Amino acid sequence: MALIHPSQRVAYPYFVVALGLFVLQVLVGTWLAVNYWASLPQWVVDVFPFSTARAIHTNLLVLWLLLGFMGSTYYLVPDETGRDLYSPGLAYLQLAILAGTGVVGVVGFLFGWTEGKPLLELPRPLDILIVIGALMFLFNVGMTMFRARNWTAIQGSLLGGLLFLALLYLFDLPFYRNLAIDWYYWWWVIHLWVEGAWELVAAAMTAWILLKITGVDRAVVEKWLYVELGLFLFTGIAGTGHHYYWLGAPRYWLWVGGLFSALEPLPIVLMLWDTWHHVKQRRLPIRSRLVFTYALGMAVLHLVGAGVWGFMHTLPQINYYTHGSQVTASHGHLAFFGAYVLLNLMFFYHAMPELKGISRFAERRGQLAFWWMSLAMLGMGLTFGVAGVLQSYIERVMGLGFMTAQAQMRFWFAVTWVLGLILLAGVVLAAVDLLTLRPAPAEEQA
Amino acid sequence: MSARTAKWIFYLGTLISLVLFLGLTVDTHRQVQTLTRADQLDEQVVAGKRVWHKFNCNDCHTILGFGGYYAPDMTKVYWRRGEEGIKAVVREPEKHTTWRKMPRQSVTEQELTALVSFLKWTSDIDTNDWPPQDANLRRTARAAVAMTVSQGATLFKDKGCFACHRLRGTGGTLGPDLTQVGGRLDRPTIERVLENPLSVNPKATMPPAPLSVDERGQMAEFLAGLK
Repeated sequence: MALIHPSQRVAYPYFVVALGLFVLQVLVGTWLAVNYWASLPQWVVDVFPFSTARAIHTNLLVLWLLLGFMGSTYYLVPDETGRDLYSPGLAYLQLAILAGTGVVGVVGFLFGWTEGKPLLELPRPLDILIVIGALMFLFNVGMTMFRARNWTAIQGSLLGGLLFLALLYLFDLPFYRNLAIDWYYWWWVIHLWVEGAWELVAAAMTAWILLKITGVDRAVVEKWLYVELGLFLFTGIAGTGHHYYWLGAPRYWLWVGGLFSALEPLPIVLMLWDTWHHVKQRRLPIRSRLVFTYALGMAVLHLVGAGVWGFMHTLPQINYYTHGSQVTASHGHLAFFGAYVLLNLMFFYHAMPELKGISRFAERRGQLAFWWMSLAMLGMGLTFGVAGVLQSYIERVMGLGFMTAQAQMRFWFAVTWVLGLILLAGVVLAAVDLLTLRPAPAEEQA
Repeated sequence: MSARTAKWIFYLGTLISLVLFLGLTVDTHRQVQTLTRADQLDEQVVAGKRVWHKFNCNDCHTILGFGGYYAPDMTKVYWRRGEEGIKAVVREPEKHTTWRKMPRQSVTEQELTALVSFLKWTSDIDTNDWPPQDANLRRTARAAVAMTVSQGATLFKDKGCFACHRLRGTGGTLGPDLTQVGGRLDRPTIERVLENPLSVNPKATMPPAPLSVDERGQMAEFLAGLK
């Protein structure tokens, strides 16, 4: 089975780099967990402190997810517009720039070259390279769409989301003198990315995959896409306020943030219902059960991690005690995994066989990897959560010291570490599986 | 639902939220000047913020609740530990940590002073009474001002003793309540505790108090008088 649009092949190296960074990210994550339960010698802490490892863990996450989105976009756009990419060469150059920036960034962190802002630690010169990479990407995708002049809601959502994403990154560039203002705009990057721009990209990718694998009417899929996007942006934009409760901003943010974020689960529920509905109504034969597993797993875990956890954690009355505790870590891990990790992996599993010219692939390893990863991550969500509730109670309600609380949480960090190792095994298995897909045995082909 | 309605939901939903958000952002910029006491935000505070970034403090510690969750929140640390308390930890972290450690950094004294100004300014941001565990320090800080009659009492507040010890119901609970310490220990013993806690109580977890000889005398006199 050959690709109709040869330029879709650009996606392959993006997926390979993304998977490699994903494995590295989770590996560093298990080291972070060791830092939480073990007592490390002072010289280890001096040479490779937690802060450095955390910067690497989070930056690799953002980089590999973005490379996954970009690769997926390059795969999706020729099919959706019916036209090859404007410039495959530019896409390869862009990958080299972004991956190179990532490598220099990680090595730089090890030597203390950092801007010192969580998640946005990359120093200014590297920020500029990221912006250049993003502009090349937008130019390439935009030119392909404009030349094709075959607009669809999926293209609009994708291009809009990517443009929004790039624009928001600009708020990271200035130096803010006032710490409160600094964090105010930090959330324009972080929150409006994951609960705004990235949701647009994710909704477009999901809608496209559902069209491809179920054969449901485009009009129906696109109608629900509009409703979901409307709800995502309605709740997500003003919902940024749930980060403004305690940073020195006016008190009305407690109301605005609380109300809008209480509605944030709505579009996610709709997405789950809509995915389920389309899968039920499918008209095409199932070519890969695994992609369906991912689609439904993503919808469920997105709802649990981002929807339910997010709902509870952003109520001001609860957030007063849980803000900046391990409850945040629990929510962050589950939400990123459910909403964006599984989305990327679903897309990879849809595109990889076609890129490799396999019509049906052997799925056993892939299924195993999915369940290992998902159950381990669900477990981690619970252990981080238990640790976070203990912390909120001991440190914030009882008023005992930070380390007194941490001592009581140590056991749960050790369990988190074990679950992290299982997660790592699942991630390695998924990465190896994706890179070495084999055709299904003949009896399954029938 | 028709496709037309779906589009309207998208355009209206986005627009309403965006207008509300941008409007409140403008208003927040106006109010934040007072709420963060921006008039106190001088070059020294900004220099301290740069130090905070330079050593990537924020990927272990939280501040205003944001950052790494590995180490204590720094929003109100100036209230908890005071200038000397903060400096002592950053200079020699290995003496102030137990099983979870803080890296030794090559911070200059100038950088350290700037960092303290930054943290002092931060502690006065109106955070709607967050974090809960430090909310009582607001009252402590006021009580301590009222107590500023003896040198020892001032030192007790400035050196961060309230972080662990309580006086008449305010302060931390890590160390013993000192409201009536003068009834238990005499002045020379208190001085020995301040100089080297282990010399009096081999199980003490308190670090040596960062005091000069004179200051130690003043502090001991103040504490010995609490009966």
